Amino acid sequence: MPDKDHKCTCSEKPLVPNIVEVIDIIDRTPDVKSFFVKNPDGNGVPFQVAPGQCGMVSHLPIGEAMISCTWQENQEYLEFAIKRVGLLTDELHQIEIGQKIGVRGPYGNGFPVNDCKGKDMVFIAGGIGLAPLRSFIKYCFKNRQDYGKITIIYGSRSKADLCFKEELFELWPQEPNTEVFVTIDNAEAEWDGHVGFVPSYLEEINPAPAGAIAVVCGPPIMIKFVLQSLEKMGYNDDQVITTLEMRMKCGIGKCGRCNIGSEFICLDGPVYYLKQLRDLPPEW
Amino acid sequence: MKVLSKDKLSTALNKLSDSAEVFVPMQKGKQSGYFTWKSFEEGQDELMLEALNVYQSPKNAVFPQTERIYGIASQGVEVNIDKTYEDTSANIIFGARGCDVKGIMAMDLAFLTKGYEDSLYKARRSANTIIANACYEPGPNCFCNAMEVNCVEPAGADVILHDVGDGYGWEVKSDKGEAVTALLADILEEKEVKLPAIKPFIQNVDYSGVAEKLKDMFDHPLWDKLAEPCVNCGMCTYVCPSCYCFDIQVKMWGEQGYRFRTWDSCMFEEYSREAGGGNPRGASKERFRQRFLHKLQFFKERYGTPLCTGCGRCMIVCPTDINIVRIIDAVKEAEINA
Ligand SMILES: Cc1cc2nc3c(=O)[nH]c(=O)nc-3n(C[C@H](O)[C@H](O)[C@H](O)COP(=O)(O)OP(=O)(O)OC[C@H]3O[C@@H](n4cnc5c(N)ncnc54)[C@H](O)[C@@H]3O)c2cc1C
Ligand code: SF4
Ligand code: SF4
Ligand code: FES
Repeated sequence: MPDKDHKCTCSEKPLVPNIVEVIDIIDRTPDVKSFFVKNPDGNGVPFQVAPGQCGMVSHLPIGEAMISCTWQENQEYLEFAIKRVGLLTDELHQIEIGQKIGVRGPYGNGFPVNDCKGKDMVFIAGGIGLAPLRSFIKYCFKNRQDYGKITIIYGSRSKADLCFKEELFELWPQEPNTEVFVTIDNAEAEWDGHVGFVPSYLEEINPAPAGAIAVVCGPPIMIKFVLQSLEKMGYNDDQVITTLEMRMKCGIGKCGRCNIGSEFICLDGPVYYLKQLRDLPPEW
Repeated sequence: MKVLSKDKLSTALNKLSDSAEVFVPMQKGKQSGYFTWKSFEEGQDELMLEALNVYQSPKNAVFPQTERIYGIASQGVEVNIDKTYEDTSANIIFGARGCDVKGIMAMDLAFLTKGYEDSLYKARRSANTIIANACYEPGPNCFCNAMEVNCVEPAGADVILHDVGDGYGWEVKSDKGEAVTALLADILEEKEVKLPAIKPFIQNVDYSGVAEKLKDMFDHPLWDKLAEPCVNCGMCTYVCPSCYCFDIQVKMWGEQGYRFRTWDSCMFEEYSREAGGGNPRGASKERFRQRFLHKLQFFKERYGTPLCTGCGRCMIVCPTDINIVRIIDAVKEAEINA
């Protein structure tokens, strides 16, 4: 962990956000929108992110929430894909282009992109859980020669709830040595793809564990069953990576609430190998 | 040794208050805690320098119960942070006991190390001087000696007072201590003093090996029994000199407002409740276990010292008679069948 030499742009005031302008908003699903932000003078972004890092996003008069920040190769803007679930996220879904909001960060350790070089990558996500993995997926495609086969397995409740449809159905399947599998929970008209839950679909696809790393993110119940499936399929605990979502307020390891044992997930996490999680108290 | 004669105490506190907020232990109406000397009302309030521990610790001097972080001005799509609230005005804690000094040392570790420095805490703390009050006669609830505290010579104090009957021996420990001593040059006297004899601790607490043993006790059945009476009222965290968890909230009046932080408690259900309704510590027992493991194991693992300073406050205020000393004893005695 960095002691002192952290890379935030807080100008010595880590709880005070940078003001940014919303330059674009895209509807991803009926309850997920992507917000694109830039510095208010139109030049650049307040901070650069590594894949898997987060930002604390605030609609200043309302509140703040920790949101995964999408990695982009030339970091000209920041993108946050935000699901509407409560007080702040409801308000954020009401704002329009041009609104000034706050962001502070980047927070968290991010994905071990270097450790994974030379591996086959298996990305497994449910619902909004694709948002953090998408950074890593994009990173792999930008550095395609560094990674082996890429398998993406993604599910959501319904067709409408699938996030990032253009990437899922058009862009990613065209990438070399890549397979994309999409499933929805229940059959519906206009859907001729796979129907069923992610864990059983994963077992059906059965990507080989040898030389592979699985990266998992989604609702807690999905994560739980996917981890069981991976174990059954022969993945070791040091071949499985996940990212945790504890309640967070400060993002800098001070306010206390996001701990598991002596780890503060905002600072030491949120990305962990399953092997590391097994050493922590079972509060994840 | 320099001595502050007790009949010059208010003169000294007045003098110090000319250039700083001076927090002293006092009984103020129904409240007992550290309040500013400027707020002391002769005849109504009572100085509590003789008492071992007042109800509230002095942590509010460096980590107020609520404090503003920044001001917000919001109009249509525009929003501005018009002010941040680092407070660097001088403050002095006068008469803190060793356990409370250790509480601040622990908060220094939490707020000022491991990647980020908390600017609000740093501002208050760098303008803060600690004049400690050495303990020669531990009380019935004290066990600081078991929790890495030396209550006669507490580490982190800038000046240490030694009660010698009609005055306080004045032992300077740091540059900040020299600075406040200079302010009192006319008041302090040079005298021969005989320091009191150190009385033994009444409680006998053994924390050795507890942090290590707890590593294997997360799922131990003893937590069910220990936690059973707890009603998660949070009193223990409120009075604790080293509990530092906080919440961040916002207050707006129309277009103006501010973001602030306020003490929070791991004993509350909402503290760790996640969006989507999940909560890793949804059950009362899980929150109880979190508090005591944070005190006795987690903080020690992360920062090298326990987060309990042995002040004894939580066992006095607990409405259900939860006692951290009995928890330490129970951990010591517990059998682990792996
Ligand atoms: C590391 C990390 C990364 C994350 N990344 C993302 C991401 O990329 N995208 C994303 O969308 N989210 C992400 N999250 C989750 C996100 O932080 C939360 O969804 C967000 O904090 C919710 O804030 P809120 O104020 O809108 O919800 P809150 O108001 O805090 O609501 C939380 C929950 O409270 C309940 N609730 C709220 N209001 C009411 C009401 N009026 N009545 C009854 N119940 C209510 C609901 O159960 C709701 O789900 C991430 C979290 C973490 C920790
Ligand atoms: S004071 Fe006692 S009852 Fe209240 S939260 Fe603390 S341990 Fe539980
Ligand atoms: S846990 Fe209890 S005894 Fe320990 S420092 Fe806090 S209030 Fe004092
Ligand atoms: S969010 Fe405050 S400690 Fe992690």
